[in-house]
Amino acid sequence: MTHASLVETFATAASAAGFRVHRGRPPRIEGAAVSNASFGLADTGSVVLASAPDEPRSRHLLADVHVSILSEVRILQGLPELFAAVGDDLPSALAIVTGPSRSADIEQRLVVGVHGPREVHVVLVP
Amino acid sequence: MKPFLAQPPSRFRTRAKAALANSQMQAATDAATFRLHQGRLDAWDALQDVEALRERAHAIRMETVDNLDAQVAQFAAAAEAAGANVHLAGTADDACTYVADVCRRRGAKLVAKAKSMLSEEIRLNDALAAIGVDAVETDLGEYVAQLAGEHPVHILAPALEKTAADIAELFARDGDPVEPELEALAGVARRRLRGVFENADVGITGANFAVAETGSICLVTNEGNAGLVTALPPVHIALVGMERLVPRLADLAVLLQLLARSATGQPLSSYTRLLTGPRREEESDGPEELHVVIVDNGRTNLGHGKYREMLACIRCGACLNVCPVYRKAGGGSYSPVYSGPMGAVLVPLLVGLDKAPSLPHASSLCGACTAACPVKIPLHELLLDLRRDLVGDGVASRKERIAFQLWSLAWSRPRLYRLSTTAARALQPLASLAGPGRRWAAGRRIPRLQKRYRDR
Amino acid sequence: MPSVQLFATCLGDLVVPEAVVDAARLLREAGFEVEFPRAQVCCGQPAFNAGHHAAARRVAGTFVRAFHRRSPLVCPSGSCATMVDRYLPDLVSADGYDIWELSAFLDHHDANLQPCNAGRQLAYHDSCHMLRELRIADAPRRLLKRSGAELVALPRPDLCCGFGGTFSVRQPELSVAMADDKLGGARAADALVTADPGCLMHLAGRVERTGGGMPVLHLATALARGIEP
Repeated sequence: MTHASLVETFATAASAAGFRVHRGRPPRIEGAAVSNASFGLADTGSVVLASAPDEPRSRHLLADVHVSILSEVRILQGLPELFAAVGDDLPSALAIVTGPSRSADIEQRLVVGVHGPREVHVVLVP
Repeated sequence: MKPFLAQPPSRFRTRAKAALANSQMQAATDAATFRLHQGRLDAWDALQDVEALRERAHAIRMETVDNLDAQVAQFAAAAEAAGANVHLAGTADDACTYVADVCRRRGAKLVAKAKSMLSEEIRLNDALAAIGVDAVETDLGEYVAQLAGEHPVHILAPALEKTAADIAELFARDGDPVEPELEALAGVARRRLRGVFENADVGITGANFAVAETGSICLVTNEGNAGLVTALPPVHIALVGMERLVPRLADLAVLLQLLARSATGQPLSSYTRLLTGPRREEESDGPEELHVVIVDNGRTNLGHGKYREMLACIRCGACLNVCPVYRKAGGGSYSPVYSGPMGAVLVPLLVGLDKAPSLPHASSLCGACTAACPVKIPLHELLLDLRRDLVGDGVASRKERIAFQLWSLAWSRPRLYRLSTTAARALQPLASLAGPGRRWAAGRRIPRLQKRYRDR
Repeated sequence: MPSVQLFATCLGDLVVPEAVVDAARLLREAGFEVEFPRAQVCCGQPAFNAGHHAAARRVAGTFVRAFHRRSPLVCPSGSCATMVDRYLPDLVSADGYDIWELSAFLDHHDANLQPCNAGRQLAYHDSCHMLRELRIADAPRRLLKRSGAELVALPRPDLCCGFGGTFSVRQPELSVAMADDKLGGARAADALVTADPGCLMHLAGRVERTGGGMPVLHLATALARGIEP
């Protein structure tokens, strides 16, 4: 797969997972928490966030709306590729995020934003 | 002391009867299991070669099961190198004592708990309550079950039998009345539990997997509660059943490709988290102290015997969702914590067949569980083996053993078969009066013994 | 003329002998001489599935003494065919048998069938052994269609009917509830057909107790004589 088609696959999968996908410009949403993603996974449309001094573990969970900025060049195929890339140098917390916070614990009906964000965005930057 | 998981022989049938009379519970269980079952089928269909993936997953799990001690040692070394405290707990009491000691040392009053079936198996919440620590479940379904004072009834849908009205009533006990509407209820849970995350002295989780190679803990949720439990409180304690170890990160990738797909049908859950050591220098959140408690509680023993494949279980719930008996009897009929086919196999192995003799027979041996298991545990064959051990170990009643012996003698020769079945035909009217005949006849006409085929 | 050995099974011999008669007739009409080894009794499955290994072995000995290996064996029961094929040889330390479940055998030999089910809507129930162990699901359906029937699909064909051998009397309430679900799903059909005498005895017994009226037939009967024999 060419990298361009990997990016397209990612965009489609991320959308299916519940992300709003933007190209180039981040949306301006008041109160949104913004993170720089380490990687994206095309197979599942996941955004990978690594804890760091400038990326607290809780940032992508506390706000109602979360935005991940993802460089297209950091999009990998899937989990095997991710683990190969980070395995020797794992952060204290690696979060593989695939959509908003969800629960179906009430009558098996889906509700979004139980503990984590209701709305999740990913901004693809070239 | 009788183990908590023990199941008196008649309890399953008694509870199942009550479950059958509860039409709301019947509808809820059917809807929930069917939805999850269909989700898995669709997700497996979408995979390129699910059979190959299942084979690999089975091999990965068996590598751990067949090398438990080495895996534990490797994990401990790697986790300690990353800054975690690792404690190997031989028994449930051991594990609870260690956790209680950490809590006492930290002066903890409030614990935020993310879902951990292991913590229920070892009765951790009771041990914490005994030292004055309030442990609040943060998984929405587990929170509901906790408020109701009940055990979770399904691995993924802990409170699946509760209606929105039930939940509203439970929430209202601790605060203002709330509408039995989805969004309102979720909002109440979010607000209340946010307070728990922010104020907890200690966060306790289980572990979906633990990677031996890197000393990492893997937590999988849809809600994000495990992320907050391991980000905000200053201490994180992870309870890890020994069998949850996975040799390498590359192996974890294979198992994660199957876990969510088999559980809910999602390619991945909303949050798949890999934690390696406590917070690092200059990080602004995450625990200062990370404790990993690796729990044995009968697993090593299991690992040495002919049932060791049961340790491969990744607690996905797929077997519950296909089980025709679970669908009618509900999770509450089984032993607390572990229900459905996996519970029917695991519980007798953890507590002894004599303490849960009816569980291997809480099944029609239809085999759907074996077909659904992502790591290819031959569940229905293990149930059959357990039934054999019930007889061989002398747990099955003498009456039953004698009955089968007599039957086998009668049917060991064609002439005796003839004689005994002629006698049975003569005694037919009495069949419904006692024993199996009576139990059959309560709901079904007893089949009429006719002129045998061989006599026509 | 090619020949087969008919394994009637204990439930066949005692409880649904007319289905065994129908099976024998279908086999003859398919061009086979049907031998019935008279020393047969039972494959031992009831005891085997209940965990009574020694008892099962004793009874399974009758099978070994009754059947030879010079011709294929055919039996009108998916569960017994599974037992003989998969478990009996190890149980009695014998070689394997060339045993066929009836519908698989008839389908394999392209058996001609009378159109006795023309105009009928039939629901076919897959027994767990047929569905999961033997993986014979298409053959019975093809045969029923060849006999003129229109097939009505059951909702949740994956769900067990609740017989399960001793399960039916250890957990009778659950067993009956599972039967009710299965029968409820067949309401749109003229009759419910199954290839396993155990399922048949359980479902038919439930219908008779509730006065439901839905005919429950063995596949052999449905193919040989249709619904109203």
